[in-house]
Amino acid sequence: MNDFIDRPRFTCALGGALFTLRALKGVVPIIHAGSGCGYNLYLATNAGAGYLGGGCCGGAGWSSSNVLEEDIVFGGEDRLREQIKSTIDLMESELYVVVSGCSVEMIGDDIVSVAAEAAQKGYPVLAVPTPGFAGDSFTGYDLILAGLFKGYLAKGLAKRPEVVNLWGLVPGQDVFYKGNLREIKRLLSRLGIKANTFFGEGETLADLKEAGRAGLNLVLSDVYGQAAAKVFEETHGTPYLTLAPPVGALQSRAFLAAISEALGLGEDLVSRVVSEEEERYFDYLGRVADIYNDVDLQRYALVIGDANYAPAVTRFLADELGHIPALSMVTDQLGEEQRLRVAGRFQGFASGLAPAVRFDPHASSFRTYLQEIHPPDQNQRYYDGLGPAFMVGSVLERDLAAERGWPLMIMSFPATNRVVFQESRMGYDGGLNMAAELFSLLVSGR
Amino acid sequence: MNFLDNQAAPIRENRLGVGVAFGGTCREARRAASQGCLNQARRSFSQTHGCEFTLSLAITSTFRNAVIVMHGPIGCGSCVIASAGGAKGYRRLRDPAAEGLIWLNTNLGENDVVGGGEDKLARAILHADRKFRPEIIVVPVSCVPALVGDDVDTLLHGLQAEVGAKLVPVHCPGFRSKVMATAYDDVYHGLLKTLVRKNDDQSNEKILNDELQEMRRRYIAGRTVNILNVSSMARADELELERLLRVLDLRTRFLPCYSESLEFRESLESALNVSVCGTHDDYFLEHLKSLFGIPFMIDTIPIGPRNTGRWLLGVADRFGLSDRARRLIDAEETILEEAIVPYREFFQGKKAFLSGGEVRIVATAELLRYLGLEIVGFKGHHFDHFSEPAFEELPGLEGTVFLVGTQQPFEQVNLIQRLKPDVFVGHTGSNNISARQGIPILPLFGNSHAYMGYAGVFEVARNLRRVMLNGSFNHLLAEHCPLPYRKSWYEKDPFSYIVDH
Repeated sequence: MNDFIDRPRFTCALGGALFTLRALKGVVPIIHAGSGCGYNLYLATNAGAGYLGGGCCGGAGWSSSNVLEEDIVFGGEDRLREQIKSTIDLMESELYVVVSGCSVEMIGDDIVSVAAEAAQKGYPVLAVPTPGFAGDSFTGYDLILAGLFKGYLAKGLAKRPEVVNLWGLVPGQDVFYKGNLREIKRLLSRLGIKANTFFGEGETLADLKEAGRAGLNLVLSDVYGQAAAKVFEETHGTPYLTLAPPVGALQSRAFLAAISEALGLGEDLVSRVVSEEEERYFDYLGRVADIYNDVDLQRYALVIGDANYAPAVTRFLADELGHIPALSMVTDQLGEEQRLRVAGRFQGFASGLAPAVRFDPHASSFRTYLQEIHPPDQNQRYYDGLGPAFMVGSVLERDLAAERGWPLMIMSFPATNRVVFQESRMGYDGGLNMAAELFSLLVSGR
Repeated sequence: MNFLDNQAAPIRENRLGVGVAFGGTCREARRAASQGCLNQARRSFSQTHGCEFTLSLAITSTFRNAVIVMHGPIGCGSCVIASAGGAKGYRRLRDPAAEGLIWLNTNLGENDVVGGGEDKLARAILHADRKFRPEIIVVPVSCVPALVGDDVDTLLHGLQAEVGAKLVPVHCPGFRSKVMATAYDDVYHGLLKTLVRKNDDQSNEKILNDELQEMRRRYIAGRTVNILNVSSMARADELELERLLRVLDLRTRFLPCYSESLEFRESLESALNVSVCGTHDDYFLEHLKSLFGIPFMIDTIPIGPRNTGRWLLGVADRFGLSDRARRLIDAEETILEEAIVPYREFFQGKKAFLSGGEVRIVATAELLRYLGLEIVGFKGHHFDHFSEPAFEELPGLEGTVFLVGTQQPFEQVNLIQRLKPDVFVGHTGSNNISARQGIPILPLFGNSHAYMGYAGVFEVARNLRRVMLNGSFNHLLAEHCPLPYRKSWYEKDPFSYIVDH
């Protein structure tokens, strides 16, 4: 059971659905809900995702039925019919997707049937129920994907083995989703794989329509996109492969090897790609060899992030940058099985280190765990403090970081104190970006 | 006025006949409002905008030494993410030791939709009380628990004895009112029921009846005015109003934004409650008058020289200080005029469109006209009689376009296309949309810009000139970031989707 949360780092299913749709070019969402749902979720995710903006419609421009008490009493389907019609009348789009909030689902409005009426008249309208009580943003991502897989994708297409669909990076919740998708796509293309990322640069709705052609769905998450990938498999017969999202050179090498094995690509190809990428990568990373070793830039690392980032970044910091991860906290609401899978990602570090890992969505819990893993100074003569250190997390960590004098690198949602455009955190480029940002923090006083 | 026996505040469409859908001229809007025939209209196309829940957070998320326990599914109130990062800094303008914003969400799920969420709420409140030891725990109640029928008032009443914090319910489900501003009444309803209490601790009175102390208390209270601030004010605005009233030997106390528990208790030690914007606080002030006999003034908002003068005179008049106020106003206007003269040349012949809260945009129009701009249109969140005083200070605009709509950027873009203003002064939310029409934008309010009083006039002049000096960013947006509306929309009547039933 999901309990109350102290400063949650995600919104609801409707929020996840809306920002997934916002990331798809050519889609206009129609919200069937009270007036506040869309605007509230726009405010949260715009700012939380490093000022992502409301997209083509603009946050306050989202079509919304704005149901009132009388609709709740008498049913809101007529209001939705009217809103679908007027939205098509006003806004041009390849696809209109109706999503719903809590109140209309509680009274039993059938948004799928109402959308089907419009579709029968020839309008490209589809509905996916996404009430906030169904879960968090990550659930919303899976719900909307599953809805599109069932209701929008062309069925019965011939499979092309060199085409792969990429899932598992949730637009908005992954603040760097667009840069990450670009980098993963680039890496796969080096192996001759055509990857559809749907939410990345230059992708179109037509690619989504034809997604059933892919020979494989690649889910870069132990949690996000898993449920949708199952639906995809059931509906279109495409198997899926789950791999950890790769951050930095070592994880990218393992990632490329795994995908190459799954698709039966030649070992020579992978070796060549990896060695070229690594030559470029370490040419950059090697630049800091001097300052790193002259002034000792190794630190203890405190990491707070979601199920994708927390393990991958902790491993990157330990195994590549040589830091000492002291405590990592995964802030998602996970089921037992999901938790075990994610916990497994913290094992087998090449550095031999094994950080303390906690699963907890409460913002205030991190302080408690810090005390557990590292007892505070008891005024003894010699105290081995947790320092020098830095934190990697969200803006919610700023107060603690400032109190302890730890530099804070912003990686996870909410990231209201930075702007994110095309930067990545995954792959080779993402590793370099993160290393540059982290070392910049450490030399910022020089 | 006394609605405190009700669980929740009445909605504004019923209490004030507020309208949210109207298109016409200022004259027509005022006439329709005065005849009470504004509030039936609605839209056959609508766009998302704040609800009672989200707007109730605008006030309550500023309280110091408070924790918010949002009762609803996990997305409700997530909008505070946008403001939480800056919350500590703004609070520290009041109290250098203030902490940042802490909120919890009861995270209602499928099971709670069936079984109710009272247990979760109780556990969240107990956790918040023990973990953070706040003075106040605010509990905004969203659509889901309202529909499930959670009895939050009874629950809080029962829990009150177990916790150190004062528990403040705010009944603000988003489906209740089409008038977003009902949220203010929802918040004040909760505050009036819980925090605003006469200090009834009389245990010491018989032993320590210090007459001199008592006289001093009355003396101070008799010269103290509560100014009902709004969350869209900057600290600089408060300091300006404080400065002006100090000249009249009046003390000021700012409520409710950025206040703490003690300030609400002390708020009854006051000779006059002064509204900054009637849209925000009439419910509170009417109740304070009928419950505690404190008189109040609701007039215009002190933005623009005429409105500021009118507001100041209104306050001074209650204390028999009109002559002193007039001298102050004359002096202030003289200095201001000298400072503004160089700006007028720049603004002459420039056209402005204003969008946001009705009282604020009408008052700001007076400011802009003083600077030499021409006002070509308004878009107000809603419409009621509270803008009348500001309209009185703005003669000659009877035929100017007035659109009534909360956000609704689709109508805004159509109007902007027709009216072609040189600058857009607007409320957050829809500014990005007209930015993509290539117009320079000045935010209608902001926590770091001053707008009120005489200092505010000068600050707006400076900032407005600055944004109009270089509109390159928005010009490029217009070229490269298109809006989603069909071309045919711009040829249609902007009010086509407003229907009368």
